Amino acid sequence: MTSMISVTLKGIFRDRVFQGILMTALIFLLIPTVSLLSMRQVTELSITLALSLNSLIFLLLSVFLGGTMLWKDIERRYSYGVLGLPMTRSSYLAGKFAGVALFFLLTAIVLGAATFVVVFFASSLYPPERPVQWEIIALCLFFDVMKYVLLVAIAFLFSTLSTSFFLPVFGTIAIFLAGGATQQVYDYIHSTAGDTLTPLVKQAASGLYYLLPNFSAFDLKVNAIYGLSTSFSGLLLTIGYFLLYTTFILSLAALIFSRREMR
Amino acid sequence: MSAISIENLTKTYRGKRGAKVDALKELTLEIEAGEVFGFLGPNGAGKSTAIKTLMGLISPTSGSATILGKDITTPDARRSVGFLPENPSFYDYLSAEEYLVFVGKTFAMSGPELKEKTASVLNRLDLWEARKRPMRSYSKGMVQRVGIAQVLVHDPDVYILDEPMSGLDPLGRTLVKEIIKELRERGKTVFFSTHITADVELICDRVGILVAGALQTVRPVQEILAAGVVGYQVKAKDIPQELFSYYNADSQAEWLSVPKADLGPVMARLQAAGSTVELVEPQRKDLEAFFLDIVAHSQA
Repeated sequence: MTSMISVTLKGIFRDRVFQGILMTALIFLLIPTVSLLSMRQVTELSITLALSLNSLIFLLLSVFLGGTMLWKDIERRYSYGVLGLPMTRSSYLAGKFAGVALFFLLTAIVLGAATFVVVFFASSLYPPERPVQWEIIALCLFFDVMKYVLLVAIAFLFSTLSTSFFLPVFGTIAIFLAGGATQQVYDYIHSTAGDTLTPLVKQAASGLYYLLPNFSAFDLKVNAIYGLSTSFSGLLLTIGYFLLYTTFILSLAALIFSRREMR
Repeated sequence: MSAISIENLTKTYRGKRGAKVDALKELTLEIEAGEVFGFLGPNGAGKSTAIKTLMGLISPTSGSATILGKDITTPDARRSVGFLPENPSFYDYLSAEEYLVFVGKTFAMSGPELKEKTASVLNRLDLWEARKRPMRSYSKGMVQRVGIAQVLVHDPDVYILDEPMSGLDPLGRTLVKEIIKELRERGKTVFFSTHITADVELICDRVGILVAGALQTVRPVQEILAAGVVGYQVKAKDIPQELFSYYNADSQAEWLSVPKADLGPVMARLQAAGSTVELVEPQRKDLEAFFLDIVAHSQA
C-alpha cells in the first residue's frame, strides 16, 4: 500500500496540482488589504477570509481531485496493470485515498502557514481587542482538513459506483451542500417551529440527519474568529465521528469496488 | 500440477435491455508448467475476457480456475504471475524506471536486487536511454515494451500476456519472440493471446483456438504442422523421364511435386533409377489455413 500512496502523491505533484494551489494561494496577499474595509474588525475579517479561502481550496480539491482520482485510473486504463498485480482492490483504494489525504495534510501545512502570516500581518496593523487564539485557528484548520478528507471518501464511494465522472463530481458537491445543512435542519424540526411539519417529514429529515455526514460538527470558524474556547470532549467526539464515518464509507467503497468488473 | 488450470469458466454479460452475451462458454483448459501456449482467436472471440477473468479483473459467471494451484479469486494467485494487459497504459507521469520499481516493490522486491533487475530489463527492452523520461512522452511501441519489462522485472514463473506483439515494430516483435523463447528455455510458462498465426507457429508448443467464446480445439503446434503436410517437393538429379513428366507440374528442372501418398513409391523409383536425391521438403498448409478452417467450421 505504501507504493500506491507514493505513486498517488507523485501523480498529484506531477500533474501540477500543488502549483495550482500555490497560484490560488496568492489571493492570501489580498486579504490584509480587503480586511481594512471592515474598519474595526480587521483581524476578525482577515481570519474569516483566510479560513474561507482555505475551505474553498480544499472543497475544489475534494471535488476535482478526489472525485476524479479513481475515474481517471479506470478511464485511462491504468487500473488494468495495477490490479493485475498481487494487490487487493481494497489496498489499492486505501492507497489512493491515503495519498490524497496525505496531500491534503501537506497542503494544510502550507496554507496554514500562509493563514498565520496573513493574520499576523493584519493583527499587527490593527491590534484586535481580543488577542488572536492561534491554537484555535490551527485547530480550525485541522478540523477543516478532516471534513474535506471525509468528503474525499464520499467522492471515492461515488467513483466506485459509476463509470462516469458526473456522479463523483456532482454527487460530492450535493453531499457537501446537504452535509453542511443537516444540523440546521435537525435543529429546526426539533424546535417549536418544526411542530407544523408532518411526522413523516420529521422522520425523513431525522433519517437523513443520521445518514448524511454532519459537516457542521467540523466547523470551528466562529471559535477561531472570536477566540472562543472549544470543548475538549466535543473535539474528541468529532474526531471519533470522523474516523468511524470515513472507515464506514471507505469499507463500503472497497466492497463495491471489489465487485466491479474491469471490462 | 498444471501452471494454469481452467475448468468450465463461463462469463455472461448483461447487455442493453437485459440481453445476454456469452463472452466465454465453459472454457476448460490445462496449461502445463514450462510450455508456451498460444491462445488464438479472431477479434471478439473472448480471449481478453478469459485473460481478464484469470487475472481477477472480471469475475466469472460460473466455473473456476487456478494459477499454480492458487484460486484466481485471491490476490495470492497473482504473486507468481507477470501480466501484460491488452494495449497497456501505465501511470504516464512516472518514468519507466519508476514504474518498474513500483511493480517490483508490489512483488516485495527491494534494494540491490530490484535495482539490478530493473536495469537489466530496461537494457533488454532497449529502454535504458528513456528510463528517466515520463512515459507520457513515449511512443506506443515504447509503452508496449514497458509492459513487457514490467512482467519480466520480478521474474515470475507464469506469464500471461494479452496481445504482446501489438503495437511493436518488426524489431520489437522479434525481440519479444526471442524473450518468450528464452523464457521457455528457463522453464517458465507463457500463456499469450494473439490473432497472428505466424507468431504462434514460431514460438508456441501448443495452441488453443477460441471462436465466439467457445474453445474449438487445443493441439500441439508441431502436430498441426505435421498433419498439414499435403505433399513433398523432391529435388534430385537424373530424374527418370516418366516421373518428371508425371510429377513436375512447374517444369522446374530437378524438382518434383509429389503427393503425400506417393512419396514412398517415388523415392523407390528414384533409387532404382540411380537418381541422386538432394532434398525432400514437405509442403504443408500453415497454421493460418488450419485456423481459418476451424473458424469457418465453427461458424458453419
